[in-house]
Amino acid sequence: MGDETAAGKLLPVNEGLVTGTDNEPRDVQLLGSKCDRCGEVSLGANAVCLNCGSDRITGIRLAPEGELWTYTVIRHRPPGGYLGPDPFEPFAIGLVELPDGIRVMAPLAGDVDSFEIGCRLRLEPWILQSRDGPAYRAFRFAAVAG
Amino acid sequence: MPDSDIVILGTGIHPFGRFDKTPEDLGVHAARQALGEAGLEWSDIQAAYLTRMYLPATSGARILRRLGSSDISIVDIEAACASGGAGLRQAVLAIRSGEVDTALVLGVEKMPRGFMDPSMIYADWQVRMGLSMNPAYWSMRARRHMHEFGTTEEQIARVAWKNHRNSVENPNAMYRKAFTMEQILASKPVCDPIRLLEICAPNDGAAAVVVTTARRARQLGGEPVAIEACAHTVARYSADFRCPADSMSATISNPGPTRVTSQKAYEQAGCGPDDIDCFEVQDTDAFCEIEICEQLGLCERGEGGPMAEEGHTEIGGRCPVNMSGGLISKGEPVGASHLGQVVEIVSQLRGRSGARQVEGARVGLAHVLGAGGNCAVTILAA
Repeated sequence: MGDETAAGKLLPVNEGLVTGTDNEPRDVQLLGSKCDRCGEVSLGANAVCLNCGSDRITGIRLAPEGELWTYTVIRHRPPGGYLGPDPFEPFAIGLVELPDGIRVMAPLAGDVDSFEIGCRLRLEPWILQSRDGPAYRAFRFAAVAG
Repeated sequence: MPDSDIVILGTGIHPFGRFDKTPEDLGVHAARQALGEAGLEWSDIQAAYLTRMYLPATSGARILRRLGSSDISIVDIEAACASGGAGLRQAVLAIRSGEVDTALVLGVEKMPRGFMDPSMIYADWQVRMGLSMNPAYWSMRARRHMHEFGTTEEQIARVAWKNHRNSVENPNAMYRKAFTMEQILASKPVCDPIRLLEICAPNDGAAAVVVTTARRARQLGGEPVAIEACAHTVARYSADFRCPADSMSATISNPGPTRVTSQKAYEQAGCGPDDIDCFEVQDTDAFCEIEICEQLGLCERGEGGPMAEEGHTEIGGRCPVNMSGGLISKGEPVGASHLGQVVEIVSQLRGRSGARQVEGARVGLAHVLGAGGNCAVTILAA
């Protein structure tokens, strides 16, 4: 699980969710949708506003830095096709509040005991390699240095 | 409170647990018991609703044909953890419409051990990134509540202590084992701050009710319990970040599904939380019960922790909650859980709950809440 894969194609972990290319996996940013009618920002490229239902949407890139709003530590391997470290290592996930007015659910990189509500976090790329299939360009948040 | 025109005349339950039995075995057990208690035959039922989440399509028809041939409407209903409430509501509406006067609502579930299959509710990318574990979402709510209101891990553990203790007297519960506060607080964290002895387990079970008009019940005799309210809603945008939410608004905060659904139910019943003597509520985890007590209006926002700690939600307290032992000790056969709560409330209102009886209970409320903000609230009166 390196920062970059030397060979093979990097698929976005979900269409319309993250930017970046095979050549520049470090360029991961989160895509969002801003409603032209009510102004609400939602996660990903959405055809309609999740708040008011309008289809007048402007695609945006969400801010890469925010504050932790709540979090937990996952102590057991999640069910299904989780592509994180094998053997499993406990990890934190949380809701990160971005200045765009949205809180995004994301894995948190780093020591599971190092987080507290309000701490500053920054988006980083997270490359997930499936066992026999493709590698994915995903994302997580990590503590802002200093 | 207005006189309700619709009543529960019979209840049945197959204990919640893990059994080497088919869904048909579980369902027929509960349905036969409910029909027997109502003094009715399967041929008296004019519409049937099977509430389930994990069973395959047409389970209602497959299970109920074991009771005999019929040509009535049999429909499967799914609304995540609120399936039982959504099904009961359909029975009430069908009877109120005048098309039928007697209906059966049967909840049946048979679930694998361990964490629930994430592909049913999460997107593939959430699963790949490890965002597909239900208890994580409950725990994040707990963490935020602790931050905002000073709720403690001891207060959360106290809910688990109470519910496990209540279940010792409930033959339909899975665990029926009391634990000390020390044992609960020493149990392994599943998703911090929620621990193993503070969460419910998916399991097998069935529960059933026979619903009919007050008029038909008077003809039949027996012990009818009035359905004063039965409401089901799905949460508005950003009212909730329960699984499988991938984000939430930081600018809009709509009232949560429990507050919205219970307000509807209180309006239907013409009563408020102070008029209700006993409660069965969603306790997928111990913190959830604290939050639900606040949202049902049993205490102010942020006061749910102290309310549990001071014993107000115990049997004999100001507002007893989860006399049955709750889902923490019974387990959660998802499609059957609400009807299981209704069976408990009916038993309480008939004064037949033995050692876990709330003295003089006349009005009771059952509440479930789950994936997608699916919420149901039923209010019953003796």
